[in-house]
Amino acid sequence: MSSISVNQQARPRGGMARIFSHPKVAVGGAMVLLFICVAVFAPWLAPNDPNAQDLLATLLPPAWAADGMAQYPLGTDSLGRCVLSRLIYGSRIALIVAVAAATGTMLLGTTLAILAGYLRGGFDRATSFIVVLWMAFPPVVFSMMLMVGLGTGVRNVILAVILVDWTRFYRVVRAEVIVARQREYVQAARLLGFSHLRVMLREVLPGVAPLIITLFSLQMGVAIIVEAILSFVGLSVPSNVVAWGVMLADGRDQIYQAGWNLLAPVCGIVFAVLAFNLLSDGLRVVLDPRLRKRGGE
Amino acid sequence: MMPAVLEFKNVSVSVKVGGADVALLRNVTFDVGKGRILGLVGESGAGKSMVGRVISGLLPDNLRFSAGHVYFQGGELTGRKARALLGRRIAFIPQEPLSALNPVLTVRQQMFEHMKHLGLPRKQWEPYCLERLAEVGLPDPADMLGRYAHQLSGGQCQRVLIAMAFSGDPELIVADEPTTALDVVTQAQIVRLLRQVQRKHGTAVILITHDLRMAAHVCDEVAVLYAGDVVERGSARRVLEAPWHPYSWSLKMATPNLTGPQYVLPALADLMPGLKQIAELPGCRFARRCPTRNAECENHVPVLESVGQGHYVACAGQCRADSASRKTEPHALPPAAHPGGRPLLELRDVGMTYQGRGGRKGQLFHALKPLSLSIGPGELLGVVGESGSGKSTLARLMVGLMAPTAGTVHVDGVARAQASARQAAQMRETVQMVFQDPDSALNPRRTVEGLVAQALELRSDMAASERRQIAERLIKQVGMAVDALQRFPSQLSGGQKQRVNIARVLCVTPRLLVADEIVSGLDVSVQALIMNLLLQLNRELGIAVVLISHDLSVVRYLCQRVLVMRHGEVVEQGPTDQVFGNPAHPYTRLLLESVPSDDAGAAWPPTEHDQDSVRAGSAELEFQS
Repeated sequence: MSSISVNQQARPRGGMARIFSHPKVAVGGAMVLLFICVAVFAPWLAPNDPNAQDLLATLLPPAWAADGMAQYPLGTDSLGRCVLSRLIYGSRIALIVAVAAATGTMLLGTTLAILAGYLRGGFDRATSFIVVLWMAFPPVVFSMMLMVGLGTGVRNVILAVILVDWTRFYRVVRAEVIVARQREYVQAARLLGFSHLRVMLREVLPGVAPLIITLFSLQMGVAIIVEAILSFVGLSVPSNVVAWGVMLADGRDQIYQAGWNLLAPVCGIVFAVLAFNLLSDGLRVVLDPRLRKRGGE
Repeated sequence: MMPAVLEFKNVSVSVKVGGADVALLRNVTFDVGKGRILGLVGESGAGKSMVGRVISGLLPDNLRFSAGHVYFQGGELTGRKARALLGRRIAFIPQEPLSALNPVLTVRQQMFEHMKHLGLPRKQWEPYCLERLAEVGLPDPADMLGRYAHQLSGGQCQRVLIAMAFSGDPELIVADEPTTALDVVTQAQIVRLLRQVQRKHGTAVILITHDLRMAAHVCDEVAVLYAGDVVERGSARRVLEAPWHPYSWSLKMATPNLTGPQYVLPALADLMPGLKQIAELPGCRFARRCPTRNAECENHVPVLESVGQGHYVACAGQCRADSASRKTEPHALPPAAHPGGRPLLELRDVGMTYQGRGGRKGQLFHALKPLSLSIGPGELLGVVGESGSGKSTLARLMVGLMAPTAGTVHVDGVARAQASARQAAQMRETVQMVFQDPDSALNPRRTVEGLVAQALELRSDMAASERRQIAERLIKQVGMAVDALQRFPSQLSGGQKQRVNIARVLCVTPRLLVADEIVSGLDVSVQALIMNLLLQLNRELGIAVVLISHDLSVVRYLCQRVLVMRHGEVVEQGPTDQVFGNPAHPYTRLLLESVPSDDAGAAWPPTEHDQDSVRAGSAELEFQS
């Protein structure tokens, strides 16, 4: 409806209320919150010590099955460890990796993207070439190669995710920075005496911030999957730490006898990744001014 | 009597806003006869394009055809029927010629598609297309067919679209702002062409435009629309010469004259009501802005009444009798006063040359040929020329967004290239630029306060309250209310955005403003307000202005001195009255002739032979080795 202008006088509804009124954001946000709570309060929520072995009760089915024991709600694995407790504790590694890896990816990718997109020229050509080269490596193989080089451990998993995935941020953010940079308000700010750094931080960054938030949320989901893959192949955490990938690896041998051992970590991963993806998809719509309803054309 | 080709009878279109029906078109009645041109005139938001939507049967989903009848050739036209007739018997000429053609298909592919739609036998397509393209004056039709949209100029694109519109020999053509995106010389040509082809085929045309003067010259009849009401209808000449309705009058008066005495542009207060305000205007929708309203107006819906000779006006007030409100004040600019004083900005043999790229490697492209120019304090200088004439390059050189490849730019006598860091900062404050497009020049994520006081961010010692005070002063200076400070640009109208755009540069107290096309793209009444604001700033603060514009009447209203540019070269310069009154260069004459005259009796557009001699060779950018 282009012809009659809608002159909106009132300010739009408060930012947070508007953002969370979107169903995907609301559902995704609630799931993320639940995930965080589980990870933070794991010691209080878990019924058993996740590493305590009960060799008399191995491969128990869930509590509601005929042979189940109330003490182990989701049963036990081949060493008699409580599956539910391991599932709950496993979320801690997933959360740590998700937050740390996504933050690192965002910082590295965004910084380079803003510099390249704003300065253009030689710097842009150089970084863009590196990105093209970087993206030619298959990501899973690349991260495994990195893990072999860096050694195992959660910290190195995070580092590997950052080194593999920063290109995603770089690509998407740089394209947007190039668009923002050509807007006249960037030139106007320069004419008002703003330095390049200030223009980047005050004029360009706010414009790409919604995009960064969206990518960040998406990246958390990706990081969880990568961590699961790496701990599945035994390149991530030491054996006394619980991670969903480790649970998958442990359960793989008894897949025919005790399928629930596999099902639990899979559900955990799906839940967490779905939460972040839903949130990201919702934020993309809510924060993108082009997809937002026009305020007052 | 033959039935009209198209007849609107009390047509209303409404939309639901918060449970209530709001009429976007209210009792719209008009008709177009065979071979006639009807102009629908009004500013944005008047509902002009809605009429086109009704005719095409393509109303947006949330709108409802709520009352009235549309007859096409005597038969009732429903939405479904209209869609079936589209392209064959009702054709459209769109506003943006460049985006109306598919960029990945050749002209041939698109025209053939249309021929297929028309149901022509396959082997006739090619000769028929060639014939039609020749008819619209395209020089080498066979070559045109093989081209893509980006290989055509705006005028050529519009000619192709006109050829396509007429190729089905439709009874009715709706042209929605067909020349708005084109420069003034091309506009004159396209209008002439449209009329020529229309006469030949005897087609009825509805021309939707915001330009009352152009409509008056091109059309047989015009209808003036305001917020969904037809406020005046009559023969084009009568409506332009003696508008009865106060809105038509202000629409006419808001465009400055190109000849004859000048007057201070009367500007209407306030804005065209938006959707929400319309809901609160039960009576005459113009009443709140009307200088001659009476108590009755606010509640009484005016109906079109004849005032003789097929001239109808919808006004319940005494607008016809009351001429007291229609006085204009004479307007004259003070003479440019800088006798021997030091110029504020001086360009000495400044030129801009680019190295050709790709296929033109090694060739030089002269965006601006060396020119010298000086601007004194408080002077008003206009720069005119069509797109690609080097106007914007000149502006960028003046403010220092680009460094010239030849010559030097001096501010207050100091060469910019040699300035120290402190001098450079001072120069930046002295010469400021107001950008053309406020949508792009205002960061959408800043509030108006953040925008207006943007330059103060660099002063870390300033308290927030002080900053706020300055922002309040600036926003008042450009004629806006203080409560606008907390809004975002997306919540402002086009005119308000442009004011904020101006207020922002005033923050650093510049002495020279370079304004690049800042009034183009605004509705005429808003344009008048912005021009008066510039004059006021000049008068009160002594700010010099370099106004870059393709609109000659705007330049005449605002500028003491004018520079006419073409292909990166100044072809003529001098005092505005002298240059416009007695143009020496044929190009200046061409520009002046292309502007629709304010005298409805004058012949416009001018005849072809005057134009083509000057036009020749200007279609391509000139590259020199």
